[in-house]
Amino acid sequence: MTRLVEVPTSFDDRSFDQFAAAYAQAIDGERLLFDAHAAEWASPYGLVGLLAAGEAATRKGGERPLLTAPANPDVVSYWARAGFFREAGDLFEVHGKVPKLKPAVESDVLLPVTPVRAAEDVHAVVSTIQQRASAILSSELGLDPKATMGFAMALSESCQNIVEHAGTGGWVAVQAYNWRRRLSRRVVVIAVADAGIGFRHSLEPTQAKRFGERWGDAAALEAALIQGVSRFRDPGRGQGLAGIRRYLARWEGKVAIRSGTARIAIVPGWDDDVPLKDGLPAFPGSQVLLIIPEQASEKGWGASKK
Amino acid sequence: MGGVEEVMIPHINVHAILQQSVAGFYADLVTRPTGRAVRENIERDLPTGTIAVMDFTGVGCLDYSCADEIVAKLVRDKVKVLLLRGLTEAHREAIEPVLAGAGLAVLCERSDGALEGLGASEPAPALLDELVERRLAARNPGGTIRLTAA
Repeated sequence: MTRLVEVPTSFDDRSFDQFAAAYAQAIDGERLLFDAHAAEWASPYGLVGLLAAGEAATRKGGERPLLTAPANPDVVSYWARAGFFREAGDLFEVHGKVPKLKPAVESDVLLPVTPVRAAEDVHAVVSTIQQRASAILSSELGLDPKATMGFAMALSESCQNIVEHAGTGGWVAVQAYNWRRRLSRRVVVIAVADAGIGFRHSLEPTQAKRFGERWGDAAALEAALIQGVSRFRDPGRGQGLAGIRRYLARWEGKVAIRSGTARIAIVPGWDDDVPLKDGLPAFPGSQVLLIIPEQASEKGWGASKK
Repeated sequence: MGGVEEVMIPHINVHAILQQSVAGFYADLVTRPTGRAVRENIERDLPTGTIAVMDFTGVGCLDYSCADEIVAKLVRDKVKVLLLRGLTEAHREAIEPVLAGAGLAVLCERSDGALEGLGASEPAPALLDELVERRLAARNPGGTIRLTAA
């Protein structure tokens, strides 16, 4: 039997729970059909999240899941330029017309969907992003040129969570775009997703006892992001997420992490997200979202806004 | 206090050690495994309890994991005084909170040659005193402290 999992027409962190709810209904052994034919837009978070779902579905059901590509030529072309299909080919049996485009080299796709499996991958990601993101971060987002290095640090630490904790590989994507609907500013978004063990399982051996009955996905996310705890007893661990928080606080950025049935966010003034959500539809692994907005300048918003 | 020992200060070229430690040409100090490999390479030739100069010239991105794995662990377990030079502002931003959070400090040499503490504020003065006492650094009339020999 094949179960349909609909990909939301506008697929981002906000609609992800709708996607996760459909995914969570699948039972072991069922083949899944991820239907994205009606998709009109997908954020980097949606794209890497979909890949994580594909990997988890293969693991769960054994048979490679199906994926119907977006029918809209512009949308499917964007997914190709964003590097999605390069990764999806290994995970899904893809149906529909998929253009044979190479991932974009000169566009707002600062880093196409890129697999992260080992430390070497993180090195390659950091090296690439420094070459490509510097101009966009300073000229278009109005960030101090020195902030580029902090951006690379935040990206490195986000990717390392996969290498160090997930127990499997994952994906990262970085993109700049105009965020008219929610912010009326340009933003740079880092999205990282895996279908690994998630924060709760990673931290359980060292933290569950401390939290007692409160222990769960939400408590694990709180422990990691707010209290900076790590599964390692090494006293220097837990620096990565703390560093990401500091960087984002400085640039009015947002971080949100979804793992299992919970989602935690450090919410800046410009956003109306909630800090912690529990009881969400279960989804494997961890999905991390970092958003850095265009900075306010004396003449209005940053340099790109005339 | 006995006579002053003549001390040879080991100089650590971090960029060169990074090249020796990982496959592929990378200028960035990122990820725990990379940090661990670099630190183990450094420790191999470094006597315990020594004073060492660590030069970050040529290093691109330094993330928090590497700052902890290399700088904090060397200070915690291996060296008596660690003096950093060639730091960019971004390097300092990675190292400072990692050291401060662990109650550790290093010295760093500013571009004008003056030494200052980086990390937790409490241990830094003792590190400067140690260098002055060993005549590796001297107080200038302006109040700043600079290396004499390193």
